[in-house]
Amino acid sequence: MADQLTMPQTAMPAAGVKIPSADIYAPQWRNFMFVAPFLFFFTTLLVFPLLWGMWLSFHKADTFSSGKFIGLGNYVRLFHDKVFLQSVWNTFYFVLLTVPTLALIGLFLALCLNRRTRTAAVLRTLFFSSSVLSVTIVTLIWRIVFIPNVGLLSTIYGWFGATAPAFISDPSLAMIGIAIATIWWCIGLPMMLFLSALQQIPQDIYEAAALDNANRWQTLRSIKLPSIKRTFILVVIIQIVLQFQLFGQAWLMTRGGPNNLTKPIVLYIYDTAFRRWDLGLGAAASEILFILILIAAMAQYLVTRSRGDQT
Amino acid sequence: MKLKKILFAAVSAGATALASPSFAATELNVQRFFGACDADFGTNTDPAKAVGECGIITSLINKFNADNPDVHVNVTTVEWPGYDQLTAQFASGDAPDIITIHESVLSDYQSKGLLMPLDDLLKSVGVTPDAFTDAASNGATKDGKIYGLPIDSWTMLYHVNMDLFKQVGLVNADGTPILPKSPEELLAQAEQFKQKTGKPYFVQNLANETALYTRNLYTYLFQQDSDFFADPKHVKLNTPESKKVIEMYKAIFDKGYTTKDLDYGGSINAFLAGEGGVHLNGTWVVGDYNAQSETKGTALNKGGYAVYPYPQLFGGAHAQYADGHTWAVSQKDRTPEQMAAIGKFLKFFADNDFEWSRTGHLPAYKADIASDAFKALPHRSTIAAVADLGKPLPSAVQRQFAIQDIIGEEMSAAISGQKDVDAALADMESRINELLANI
Repeated sequence: MADQLTMPQTAMPAAGVKIPSADIYAPQWRNFMFVAPFLFFFTTLLVFPLLWGMWLSFHKADTFSSGKFIGLGNYVRLFHDKVFLQSVWNTFYFVLLTVPTLALIGLFLALCLNRRTRTAAVLRTLFFSSSVLSVTIVTLIWRIVFIPNVGLLSTIYGWFGATAPAFISDPSLAMIGIAIATIWWCIGLPMMLFLSALQQIPQDIYEAAALDNANRWQTLRSIKLPSIKRTFILVVIIQIVLQFQLFGQAWLMTRGGPNNLTKPIVLYIYDTAFRRWDLGLGAAASEILFILILIAAMAQYLVTRSRGDQT
Repeated sequence: MKLKKILFAAVSAGATALASPSFAATELNVQRFFGACDADFGTNTDPAKAVGECGIITSLINKFNADNPDVHVNVTTVEWPGYDQLTAQFASGDAPDIITIHESVLSDYQSKGLLMPLDDLLKSVGVTPDAFTDAASNGATKDGKIYGLPIDSWTMLYHVNMDLFKQVGLVNADGTPILPKSPEELLAQAEQFKQKTGKPYFVQNLANETALYTRNLYTYLFQQDSDFFADPKHVKLNTPESKKVIEMYKAIFDKGYTTKDLDYGGSINAFLAGEGGVHLNGTWVVGDYNAQSETKGTALNKGGYAVYPYPQLFGGAHAQYADGHTWAVSQKDRTPEQMAAIGKFLKFFADNDFEWSRTGHLPAYKADIASDAFKALPHRSTIAAVADLGKPLPSAVQRQFAIQDIIGEEMSAAISGQKDVDAALADMESRINELLANI
C-alpha cells in the first residue's frame, strides 16, 4: 500500500507531474555561467601566462622570437650563473630581514594602539599612511634620507661631526637600507591585521581574567597572543610571498648594486629577460622563484597546521 | 524640435570637418630621452635661447611644430636610456615612429629588422651621408645602410675646476691646467692635489654606477692598443692591459683621490660646489658648466672652468671611447604623408645640428664642425680634438649596454676591494662571453 502511495511521485513522469528536484546542490552546467567571467580572466591573465612561461623556459627564446627547444638548458645555465645564485641568496636575506621585523613591529604597534582613544586613532592612521604611497615615492623619500653629503642622515650625523653610514653604496649596508625603506612602507598591513584580530577577542574573556586578578603580562601571554595565533601565521605567509617579490625598491635605490649584492630574483629576471633579451633564461628564473615562493608558503602552512592539530 | 535639428546639424558639420583629411595634421610619435623641462622651455620656439640637452631638444621640437603646421609631433619623454620600454613597445607592436638611439645600441634593434634603413628617405630630403663626420657615419651605418640620423658624437671629458688647480700649482704659464701624461704622474698629481687642498682630485659618481667605469676602461684599453673585441662575439678582457687600468683606478680609490659614495646627481652637485678638481663627465654638461662658470658666486666662477679630452696616459694610439646619438625610425607600414613628415623631421634636425652642438656634444656634420659659429662656442678649441680621438666599439658588437653593466659591476667590485682584480677580470670576461654566446 505504501508503495502504491509513493508511486505517482517517483515513477509516473508520463502523467505530467513534475519530479521535484531531489538535490538543489547537484551540478548544473548553467551555473558555470556565474563563474565564467572570473574564469576567463583567471585563465587568460594567470593560468595561460604561467604555462607559457614554463614552455618558454625550455626554449632559447629572445624578446622577439620563441626560438628552439633546449630542454633544461636554461636551468643548467642558471645554476652555473654566480649572479643568479647571488640573487637567490639576496632574496632570502631580504625576506629574513623584513618578514620577522614586520611581524614583530606590526604586533607591537597593534598592541600599543588597540585602544579607543583619539591619539591611538591618529597614530593608527599615521602608521598606515605610508602603505598608500607608491614604491617610487617611498624610494625617493628614502634616497633623500640616505643620500651622501646632503641627505637627512648625513645632515644629522654632520651635527655631531660624524660620517653617516652609506646605506646606498656600502656592500654590507645596502640591503639593510632597502629593508628599512620596505619595513617603513609595509608596516601598515600587518598592524591592521593584528588590530582586527585583537578587536575580535570577546570582552568577557578579559573580564574573566580581570576577576582572576590577571596582570597585563598574563593577559597578553594567555589571552591575546593565543587568540591571534592564526593572524600571526597569516601575516607571516602574506609577507613571505610579498617580500620574495622585491623589485621596485632595489631597482630604484641601488639598481641591484653594489656588485649585485642587492639584486633580488625579480630584478635578475627583469635584467635577463628585458634588458638582455634572454627571455628563455628569464622565464626559467621566474619558474624557480615560483617554486621557492610555493615551498616557503606551503612549508609555513603545513608546519603551523600540524602544530594546530596537536593542540 | 527645431533646436534639436540645428544641434544635430552643427555636430555633424563639426565631425565632418574634423574627419576631413585636408584639416588634419600628420601625427608623428617621437620618443626621446634627455629629460623633461617643460616648465622652463615648454613653449619656447627659439632654440638659441635654450641651454642644456633638455632645453635645446625641447625648443627644437617646438620650433619644428611651429614651422610645420601640416605635421604634429607628439613627444614621449623616457628616463635615460629608455631601451627597456622601447623593447617592450617593439615586442607589443606599438613602437613610436622616431626614437633617440645610441649608435652603440642601433645594431641590437637593426639586427632584428625593427628599424628602417634611412638611405632613400634621407636622399629624398637632400641629406646625404657624405655630409656626416666620419665618426657619425661609422656609428650610424650598419651592414652598409644608415639606420639612424646622427645628431652628435659624445665622449667623456676631464671637467676642471681651475680655482683648485691654481691653488695646487697645476697650471701652465699660459693658464691651461697641467694634466698627467702617465698613470704614475696621475697618482703623483692627485696626491699633490689632496695635500694642498684637502680635497679629492676626482669627482666621480661611483655609487652603483656602471657606465663611467666601462667608458674609462675602454678609453685606456684603446690607448694601450688592446684589441679586446677583435671578435665581436668573444671579448678578451682578462689581459695585462685591463689589469693596469683597474689597478690605476683602484689606487685612486684606495688613496682617497676620488669621491666614493656619490650618485650621478650628487657628483654634479659636488663638482659645482668645488669639492674636487676633475669631474669625469660627458660632453653633455659643457654648456651647463660653462653657464655656471659665468655666474658670479659659484665655485666655477672663482677661478674658471676648463674642459679637456681624457689625457693620454699610455704609449699606444691616441684615442678615447666615443659614442653618438641618432634619430632612428621604426619599421612599419606608413602612408606617403607620414613618410614625408618623418623626412621633414630628420631634415630639420640635420639642418639645426649646430643648435644641438651647443649642448657640448660634437656636431655630426662636417659643415657644422668646420663652421666659425661652432669654433666660437666656449671650450670647443680644446674638445674638438675628440672628433679625431673618438673611437666606438666595433659596430657588430651587440648588447653593448648589457656589456657595459657587466664591466661596470666587476670593475666596481675590484676597485672597491670587494673582489680580487684577477677574479673580477675573469668573471667579467666569462659573463660577457656567456651573454654573447647566447644571443
